[in-house]
Amino acid sequence: METLTFLFEGLSIAIQPLNLMWVTIGGILGTLIGMLPGLGPATGVAVLLPMTFVLGPQASLITMAGVYYGAMYGGSRSSILINTPGAGAAVAATFDGYPMTLKGRAEAALAISAIASFIGGIIATIIMIAVALPVARFALHFGPAEYFMLFVFALSATASMSKGDTIKGFIATVLGLMISSIGIDGQSGVKRFTFGVLELEAGIDFLVVIIAVYALGEVFKSFRGIAEGTKKAQTKFGRIWITREDWRRSMWPILRSAPFGFFIGALPGAGGTMAALLSYSNERQLSKHPEEFGEGAIEGVAAPESANNAASVGAMIPMLTLGIPGSGTTAVMMGALLMLGLQPGPMLFQQQSTIVWTLIASMFFGNIILAFVNIPMAGALVRVLAVPPKILYPIVMGLAFVGTFAISYSLVDFYLLIIFGIVGFFMAKAQIPTTPLILAVIVGNSMEQSFRRAYTIADGDLGIFFGSPLAITLFVLTALSIFGPMVANAVRARRAVQAA
Amino acid sequence: MKRLVMVVLVALAAMGVAFASGQGEGEYPRGALDFVAPGGAGGGWDLTIRTTARVLAESGLVNAPMPVRNNPGAGGSVHLASLQEKPEADDIITVYSPPLILTQLAGTSEFGYEDVTPLARLIADYAVFVVKDDSPYRTMTDVMEALQADIKGVKIGGNSSAGSMDHLQFLIMAKAAGITDLREIDYVSFDEGGSAMVMGGHIDIFSTGLSEVRGLIESGDLRALAQSAPHRVGEGIVGAIPTAMEQGIDATFVNWRGLFGPPAMPEYAVQFWRETLASMVETPEWEEARRTNGWDDAYMDGPEFNEFLSQVDQEYRGILSEIGMLAN
Repeated sequence: METLTFLFEGLSIAIQPLNLMWVTIGGILGTLIGMLPGLGPATGVAVLLPMTFVLGPQASLITMAGVYYGAMYGGSRSSILINTPGAGAAVAATFDGYPMTLKGRAEAALAISAIASFIGGIIATIIMIAVALPVARFALHFGPAEYFMLFVFALSATASMSKGDTIKGFIATVLGLMISSIGIDGQSGVKRFTFGVLELEAGIDFLVVIIAVYALGEVFKSFRGIAEGTKKAQTKFGRIWITREDWRRSMWPILRSAPFGFFIGALPGAGGTMAALLSYSNERQLSKHPEEFGEGAIEGVAAPESANNAASVGAMIPMLTLGIPGSGTTAVMMGALLMLGLQPGPMLFQQQSTIVWTLIASMFFGNIILAFVNIPMAGALVRVLAVPPKILYPIVMGLAFVGTFAISYSLVDFYLLIIFGIVGFFMAKAQIPTTPLILAVIVGNSMEQSFRRAYTIADGDLGIFFGSPLAITLFVLTALSIFGPMVANAVRARRAVQAA
Repeated sequence: MKRLVMVVLVALAAMGVAFASGQGEGEYPRGALDFVAPGGAGGGWDLTIRTTARVLAESGLVNAPMPVRNNPGAGGSVHLASLQEKPEADDIITVYSPPLILTQLAGTSEFGYEDVTPLARLIADYAVFVVKDDSPYRTMTDVMEALQADIKGVKIGGNSSAGSMDHLQFLIMAKAAGITDLREIDYVSFDEGGSAMVMGGHIDIFSTGLSEVRGLIESGDLRALAQSAPHRVGEGIVGAIPTAMEQGIDATFVNWRGLFGPPAMPEYAVQFWRETLASMVETPEWEEARRTNGWDDAYMDGPEFNEFLSQVDQEYRGILSEIGMLAN
């Protein structure tokens, strides 16, 4: 009841024209930043940092949060249109979004991603109001052992859902894990595979690998088609909307993925990319026609889009309630709070309840505004496809380099970009899926570190990995993700034999 | 007509003189300065240098623009290396803290505190050692006794990597408490989520900075066993945290932050910043900013600061060589 009082107070402040303006500016800025590969929400929020002194805590938090979930709306635009995720969390939108574009259904893909993001954001905000504190407390049960099991589950689920060949999926995973082992090892302080290059000591940024494999990979792949003139620009465009059938197929995946994404987002260090990929793999397992996934199934766009937006809301929970930043973006937001003399932590909800509740309330308005902004914006964006490929692809190439430079202003990243672009090209040639590689690069280091943390804590007793109900549950899920599809295939094959 | 030409010429000459004097040392700083945080936006270095720039502007001590740039990488080593390429620049002002020394000792960076020009030490933050609210450890001495009894029995966590600040500050305490096999103490490095780990009971004690866990100490979720300051710092519950020295552990750890110039910064610039920063720390704006951020005053002028740096360098060296992590 008290919560509702606070919420209404927050709503009444968030709806003030000035605050609505900030949320709109933040959301649109986030959408634009999210679309550009390399520039993600963390960069967008960092750019706003100097403004916090001028804006004050309320307006700056609202704007920063707007940038965060705005980027989730924007990130998938480029995934769908040019097969280049604008941010890590938008990787999953390439799986079915880009095939939809190839089939001439870009309009529906763009529409469903905005709709799914909207619903995901709203549901997550409602969950946040109801259970922010209990969720934050529950997340504390995740120790190093549980994190390790969670990462193993995410990797195995992603590898085994790879189109065609499970073995190739695992090969890609291992390759990604190898890349993630580069850099200083936190547990021992030893430098690994850095070859004396200072810039490699912090490890290879996964964004560089994403941009390389997707953007450059796509350019290399299309090169032949462009040279021979077989790759044509799209000329006719439809309305940005979906059919009744599309909605029927997407509704449940959207509704299911929102709470799921929210929870993954609330785990410090897990993040939107994992939420999106796991929800994609969930939907593929639950679907009656898993063979359509990867060929342009609309629910394959809807589910991860709902999940990643929900995750961006969830990620604010550990920051606001415990003062623990769960992602790069919330780390910068926390810096902003500290600069303003606010101490994030359990007392924030009590001492600064107005600020917190206004922030939460602003997420309702923000998501509504973004849904309205994004649908007409998509109508303009889709016309990117009308640009002749021989002009579009060099631009994509240029954006890839600019985006890479923006990550850490390092020239070393350019070499990495080219190397991984070539790796991505040959992986595509050999039909090795690239997603497991990406996820392994993202979680590989945390997974390894979690394993070694748990190992040290348990004095070398591996029993710690089965030492809690959570860990065991995650182990069972991992086993199911690997053997489930195999069993299902066997059963299907058997039925087919019996039917014949 | 002639007269007009004369007037114009005189005016031009006057402008020329004014321009020339603008180039002189008396008019430093000319044009925009380059303030650099060697870490990412929102981090400790970033907060310090942004706050400094703001106070300098608000108090009117510096009228030149002071945009802040982030040049992150390898614990500040990337920026340190780039400073060596412009050794005589008079416009680059940067911030560092103990990692300036630690990265060199650990072999991450070939450069260290001798490759920058210390301008002033400004503020200090202190280490704090926290446990979960229901932990059996009540004092720092309890922890040290438990370690004496079973060196593997207490798991220490921190957010920095092994051999870096969070690890080192605990070892300094342990050494002062008479523990000899420092190398055997289990230290678990977390990237950022260490406070969640100690709250969840996954590690026994969390070694961190006061500002990172202040909120959780105030709410009672975490209990602080000791702070590493020479005197109690802070207000309210935080101010009630006893120092290690009060508990008979004769050691302190200061997470100092100070401003530096490039290695061969011209004398006039060094002079300007030493004087300007000395006046800045006296302003009410600075006091207000320190209070908001919970920073302790640790002002020290350049030469004195340099002396201090060589002392802590020796101290860190000793500990790192004891745990076998000294690079050279």
